[in-house]
Amino acid sequence: MKHLNTLGFLIFAVILVAVPMQAGNEYELRLFMLFLIYGIIAVGLNVLVGLTGLVSLGQAGLFALGSYTGAILATRLNFDIVACSIVAAVVSGMFGALLAYPSVRVRGVYLAVVTIAFGIIVENVAIEWQSLTGGTTGLTSIPRPNIFGFKLAGFAFYGVLAGTLFVFTILIHHLRLSRYGRAMLAVSQSETASRALGINPTGVRTLAFVVASITAGVAGTFYAFLNSYISPDIFTFSDSVRFLLMVILGGAGTTFGAVVGAYILTYLPEYLQQFAIWQRFAYGALLLLVMFILPRGILGTLGELLSRTRPAPKAPDASEGISAETSLHHEARELPAELVAHDLTVRFGGLTALSQASLHVRGGEVHALIGPNGAGKSTFINTISGFYRPNAGRFELDGIELTGRSSRQIARIGLARTFQNTELFGDLSVLDNVMVGYDQRLSYGLSGALLQTPRMRREERECRKTAIGLLDFVGLLPQANDPAKFLPFGLQRRLEIARALAAKPRLLLLDEPAAGLTTQEIDDLEIMIRRIANLGISVLLIEHHVELIMALADTVTVLDYGQVIASDTPAVVQNDPRVIEAYFGTSHSNVGDNEVVA
Amino acid sequence: MTTTVQYILSGLAIGGIYALIALGFHIMWSAAKAVNFAHGDTLMLGAVLAVMGVDVGLPLPLACLLGVLAGGVFGLLLERFAVRPFAGTPTSVGWMLTTIAVGVMIEALATIQFGGFSRPLASPGVNNAVRIFGAGVYPQELIIPVVAILVMIGLKLMQRHTLIGRAMKAVAHDKRAAALMGINVNRIVAFSFGLAALLGAAAGVLVAPVIQVSASMGAILGLKGFAVAIIGGITSAPGVVIAGLAFGVMEKFVEGYISTAAREIVGFSVMILVLLAFPQGLFGKREVLKV
Repeated sequence: MKHLNTLGFLIFAVILVAVPMQAGNEYELRLFMLFLIYGIIAVGLNVLVGLTGLVSLGQAGLFALGSYTGAILATRLNFDIVACSIVAAVVSGMFGALLAYPSVRVRGVYLAVVTIAFGIIVENVAIEWQSLTGGTTGLTSIPRPNIFGFKLAGFAFYGVLAGTLFVFTILIHHLRLSRYGRAMLAVSQSETASRALGINPTGVRTLAFVVASITAGVAGTFYAFLNSYISPDIFTFSDSVRFLLMVILGGAGTTFGAVVGAYILTYLPEYLQQFAIWQRFAYGALLLLVMFILPRGILGTLGELLSRTRPAPKAPDASEGISAETSLHHEARELPAELVAHDLTVRFGGLTALSQASLHVRGGEVHALIGPNGAGKSTFINTISGFYRPNAGRFELDGIELTGRSSRQIARIGLARTFQNTELFGDLSVLDNVMVGYDQRLSYGLSGALLQTPRMRREERECRKTAIGLLDFVGLLPQANDPAKFLPFGLQRRLEIARALAAKPRLLLLDEPAAGLTTQEIDDLEIMIRRIANLGISVLLIEHHVELIMALADTVTVLDYGQVIASDTPAVVQNDPRVIEAYFGTSHSNVGDNEVVA
Repeated sequence: MTTTVQYILSGLAIGGIYALIALGFHIMWSAAKAVNFAHGDTLMLGAVLAVMGVDVGLPLPLACLLGVLAGGVFGLLLERFAVRPFAGTPTSVGWMLTTIAVGVMIEALATIQFGGFSRPLASPGVNNAVRIFGAGVYPQELIIPVVAILVMIGLKLMQRHTLIGRAMKAVAHDKRAAALMGINVNRIVAFSFGLAALLGAAAGVLVAPVIQVSASMGAILGLKGFAVAIIGGITSAPGVVIAGLAFGVMEKFVEGYISTAAREIVGFSVMILVLLAFPQGLFGKREVLKV
């Protein structure tokens, strides 16, 4: 696959160099330059649509914003094309952040509406602010592009456009292969799990939209120079739909899909013109067709066909990884991994799910939390992991106050969890799932990701090795390259454990890890949990399987109606009359040990 | 004084339309956590078909009724063939793009059939203007906000007292639990989309005599309806109606004192600012994250 991408970039470069030489006349070259501009928009939009699974219907607005910014700077202040596009990138990027942040933190769908609205705002500001934008007549006589005062003749301007598209395609390809690309895909699959792994979904989505905004802004500036005339009515909603269609048609999430889509949709109107009034209908129909017949787009489908004809890539070997024992080893002088919860109370409306529940997980122990259905076990661990806010009480890990912190912050302090209904990133490979879990241990930033700096490569290698070791630890190495959604249920549970461990937590919360597993699988789980505890990681286990609890737990805490009714060693708890009553309704001193069944 | 009353009354009329559209978004979102992005075109469909019905000689009430029913059928079909196939996917890209695609197609078709121009729907509601404190309004305009409020109350009553209404609430709260209680979730979602589309098309027929009917009228009205749903809180029916009426009045004042371009700038900027300050809208509730 890697070679395929290198080959792709080579072919792309050759095409970009060959085309201007082949162009028969000015018009042909101009049309190809228009394609390059659309390509720049589309590769940026691909980050938003292909990776985060969000839709913007206002790229035309950002494109217009970039156009006006560039055109005004060029006509009024005589800026050259480089300065114009940098300012346009900054301006559109800022507006992008302003639009994305409030929308994506609530519902991803809002982004589509907010972006259309933004397009309308830009159009009307352009009409209204006549002194700056020329009102409805627009800006005419935009000067020919120049760099540092040197005029760019036909081919030189072409070179700038082609070079920009090529560089953007590479940078975005790098972004996709980095922690940011992985985080974007993860957030699109499960926001809940991303939060629990210390990823900030709002930040990741905002970043994706800012990337899409910056490219649209730069493309807009180039467009202003190419057209040497802009007015409010050339940037329409249909263009926004067309930009989206470029990404979807070419193949969302692929490296070159957006470019291919931009190419097709630049030249298609030339042919569609004969249909006159049916042209817009044809766009809608094409979008609908692609969604149903070619949902992965042209390159996505081709890639899938290709991978089917070739033998599946070999699963990595355990020797390529770092063993879990090494990668999870905590230094003895590190903190003891002690969780203390004081009097936690959680109310949902009139229902008190937890009432002054206190619990103490000692460093390195396996602590089981049991109780009848509805006792408040899930509420407890959802509170501890920051998904619910307690109405009263506090909790801390190794003396660090966790009350009031978000699940993302809590995850970064050292608490990892699994979910009762597994929350995997279904479309990501098994290995990638674990690598997302490693995210908070990576330290390279955006520039490192875009430029693939040595530090980024080193950290990524480390991340991959650790992930391989963890997959080996849970026995999933043979499935490393499979999409997580194809794993059988029992293995999905193990993958969740590996993913949670990748964060190198001090405390691991397991929410009913044995539910739905076979007896054999439960035995394996028992061994696995013991090994985890031996690595110095405290485990808080919610479980119904009494045998598993009796075999594993150092301490058992029993919840009933939201209150802690017992907390002691398994043997003591087992004979506690209040516990027996909670499970059977009546208290008989002669109830035997084995009858306490959850 | 007269101008103020004029702005308020005309604002309530257009605001009532926004409220009806936003109620549609509220109903669809509650049932499916998805909406029809061609909802504005449902409104256009209702209005255009009513005008075309009158053109071919149908009596006005019958033409209006047919327009509204056609809108409802459109909503049902869209749910079944454009939204449902993508209901199980983790992202919303699927149903958003298919409904947008259908919207683009319908608008293009309507342009071809109806022509690119605008026409009013003749209605007895706009024959004579009535004077209130010196401000002239048509009875039709006075009816619209009343209809919006009645529909909202009707929706609440339906959710409280009928089986299907309670099923809608159950599905909105927890799809899986509702299915386990024997509720046919697909049917409830289809019903919700149909109901929303009926309201959308009805809004189109109601507004047709007041503003001009054209193939492109739906896009901006639909967008403003969604903006109102965001401002009021898409989870709250009374919230979106209040926000819709207020948004309409605000628009008229901005339009009157500044300009139509400023109307769009201010309106949508207000939406973004509200979203910044109140992520769930002014009256919306936070949807509980089930872990």
